[in-house]
Amino acid sequence: MGKGIAMRLPKHIYKEFENVVGPEYISDREYILAAHRHPTTMSMRKPASPDAVILPGSTEEVQAIVRICNRYSIKFIPTVSSCIAMALPNQPETVILHMKRMNKIHEINEEDRYAIIEPGVRHCQLKPEVMKRGLSYPVAAVGTGGSVLTSIATASGENHVHYSSSKTNRYLLGFEWILPTGELLRVGSLANEAGWFCPDGPGPSLRGLVKGYVGHYGGLGVVTKIALGLDTWKGPEVMPTEGHSPSYKVRFAQDRHKLFIFKFPTLDKVRDAMIEIGRAEIGYAVLKYFNATAALMATESANDFWELWNSGLFQKELARPLYVYLATWSSEELAYEESVLWDIINETGGERVKESIRLIYEDNMDFFVVVGTLQRVLRLGCGWAPNKLSADSIPHIFKVAKAIPEFMDEFIEKGLVLNAPDNFMIIPWEYGHLAHIEQLYLWDQNIDEFGKIPMVFMQRSLETDIRHGHHATMPPRYKTMMEKLGPLYSNYHVWATKIKEAFDPNMVSNPLP
Amino acid sequence: MDTLKDYVYTMESCNHCGQCKWILGPKMKGWKYAEVCPIHARYHFDAYSGQGLINIAQELLEGELKYEDGLIEHIYTCTTCGACDINCKSIRDMEVLDTILVLRAKCVEDGRGPMPEHKEFARHVESSHNIYGRAHNERFKWLSKDVRLSEGARVAYFVGCNTSYFYPDIARNTVKILNAGGMEFKVMHSEEYCCGAPLWRTGQIEAAMKLVEHNLEAFKGQGIKTVITSCAECYGTFRGFYPRIAELNFEVLHITEVIQGMLKDGKLKLSKNLNMKVTYHDPCLLGRLSELYVPWKGEIKAFGYHEPPKQWRRGTNGVYEAPRDVLRAIPGIELVEMTRNEENAFCCGAGGGVPVAFPNFALWTASERVDEAKSTGAEVIVSCCPFCESNFKQAINANRDTIRYHDLTELVLKAL
Repeated sequence: MGKGIAMRLPKHIYKEFENVVGPEYISDREYILAAHRHPTTMSMRKPASPDAVILPGSTEEVQAIVRICNRYSIKFIPTVSSCIAMALPNQPETVILHMKRMNKIHEINEEDRYAIIEPGVRHCQLKPEVMKRGLSYPVAAVGTGGSVLTSIATASGENHVHYSSSKTNRYLLGFEWILPTGELLRVGSLANEAGWFCPDGPGPSLRGLVKGYVGHYGGLGVVTKIALGLDTWKGPEVMPTEGHSPSYKVRFAQDRHKLFIFKFPTLDKVRDAMIEIGRAEIGYAVLKYFNATAALMATESANDFWELWNSGLFQKELARPLYVYLATWSSEELAYEESVLWDIINETGGERVKESIRLIYEDNMDFFVVVGTLQRVLRLGCGWAPNKLSADSIPHIFKVAKAIPEFMDEFIEKGLVLNAPDNFMIIPWEYGHLAHIEQLYLWDQNIDEFGKIPMVFMQRSLETDIRHGHHATMPPRYKTMMEKLGPLYSNYHVWATKIKEAFDPNMVSNPLP
Repeated sequence: MDTLKDYVYTMESCNHCGQCKWILGPKMKGWKYAEVCPIHARYHFDAYSGQGLINIAQELLEGELKYEDGLIEHIYTCTTCGACDINCKSIRDMEVLDTILVLRAKCVEDGRGPMPEHKEFARHVESSHNIYGRAHNERFKWLSKDVRLSEGARVAYFVGCNTSYFYPDIARNTVKILNAGGMEFKVMHSEEYCCGAPLWRTGQIEAAMKLVEHNLEAFKGQGIKTVITSCAECYGTFRGFYPRIAELNFEVLHITEVIQGMLKDGKLKLSKNLNMKVTYHDPCLLGRLSELYVPWKGEIKAFGYHEPPKQWRRGTNGVYEAPRDVLRAIPGIELVEMTRNEENAFCCGAGGGVPVAFPNFALWTASERVDEAKSTGAEVIVSCCPFCESNFKQAINANRDTIRYHDLTELVLKAL
């Protein structure tokens, strides 16, 4: 067998899996496996090949598969869209549990505002269904084909409306969970047959184990069904889309929805405005957005991006911006919120950015609904990675942002990454209890040793955090990184390891690389 | 012609985002009908998708994957509908469909492809200039003497194999409409050979090129400046494949565009009330895949910069409005849209040589689309491609559905 070609499962084990799902829903053909061993831009190395791909159709089938995996020490990775590196095998003797067939929306409860879904339900399926009912939930910026359950429960991503909602995984309510050993556990009110509405108790809550800060990425079994909380939605019931790909226009009613983009002379002023807006509890979305990412999302090709970027417009106007989207029930409410907003902006020294930039967003309000165009960042030679990805108080996170040049300047000076030092985002959660920071850095795959850039970049960033005592880097799922970061986060790695050992004694559920 | 090596950038760029499988965000409407890729919808494995096929292409190119049992069938199950390509290009600078087509060409070059049924296409074309092996001298059997042809015209109606031999009513309707609108045109008679679509899309490039060369020579010889088609496959092939081989010195129009122009200019008036609720199906090669191909040879420099700039085919300027404008102009017609429409339209299942090699899957795909059409409450599916017609009618018959299918030209003629 050549490099990257799988050692297939022994026949009797394959047969056991096949007996569970039927022959149509399992394969160890090399061309089927090929779709799960292609390195993504965030992979540090080429993934191992899976030994088989299995498509379970029910919780019972998942349970049976997990038990077989335990019996034969076969590792398994539950996945849906596989767009993150953790969804690809990091060692041999691994099977992929592709959850696509489990794709039902069981219920959308309008009265108690929650939806019950299976892993295969995508954002492009659930979001419009809840919008029709005047409801919403924050959609992680993973593209429309991303799994809702994954975003909510096991691999939480960020969204553009954190401010009036929260981090995506704080929407997790009751759920059904196959432990790494194959036992079925119902969590929250569901455990007492009291329905899906509550994530905790009575008794100790286990929600934190599953969702953690970002989730376990399949490292603690398989979540097969969840309820997620829903918010009210002040926007249109259907997307008011005009035009054709990639130049869609999605505009909202101007008498109740208004978008502002301000620029500030310093990051401190952005921070002050962000805090004050949260204190006033106005607005639907508030964020300091990336500028290079914004330029990529506003253009339709890499060449178009370069034309815009080389003009310097986005560097000048969006170096320290604050996006504020007001969504209201009435024009009177809008007038009130706008009036409060202007008071804050005038006090903090903000001014409007060029109207041409604001209009880009007014024409593409899907930015606040589903974030389908973020993948445009991949156009630049396909090297990109998010950095930091953690949260703390708003003032703390702005300190983190101000320290970015300490590690990034070196990479820019050497031409290793795109010269975009302001390409980071800060989003407050829950009207400002805390804030999330995310830096996107881009590098070109054509430069020598490009594969090493993300690791070295992250290392330098981490050193800066440790030097300053910043809580800014999302604890990663790599042993070496966990050990370095652990002391900053109450030695979480010790706890994480013990929990893993207790729940997954055979180390079969997507073990750490 | 391009080879797989020309698409390494595409292969390496894929990050499994899933956009090649799911409807675009601005077009999302609900849980049902959210998948855009027929093979992924039917077979579920990621290998059955644009992403999977370009992963396979890369491994084959790099020698990591060998031809094994089932691989050729896998590669040829795709209908080459291009939904993956257009969805991907809404956010990326990648060529997913071209990679799939070149992958098929590699299979043929390596002596592994195409499917046996597709080899028959080439054999028939060689002997009788059409993919069915029907007598070449019967290609214009449908043409009646009352049709006014202008032998000196610079406009040619290119009929296509499927229409000529199996759906001659579309041809009859088309020429009557052209006559009614006062268009001076001719047909190519024995000079018309297959456009090459079935060969191109099954990777039989050498045989397809011979057809292109013949047809281009024939158009040139007769001084043709405008080619009108009533078949979406022919239309998309003239605009998407021919420019890869030679410069296109003529304009290509689909009959729906011609009718749209005639209505606008007052040359055609649709006055009879048809009183029906219809939904329009966008054929892949008339909709998202119909933009003119502009050859690009260059270098992808640092940070994705294409030098010289490349003209992308992102499906933005497909023929979406012309057929809808025509339908709206027919009295009594209520046009309702399916969830997946325009560049997000779900394939009818008839593309890429699938119906002859995988008839059950072709039928499944058409049935899915018919189901979607029925969900609109429409009583009629309208489209303008004989391949779509064939597949839809089979699905409607197989499922004993009450919904009907009509070619757009048929409705126009009835309304005249």
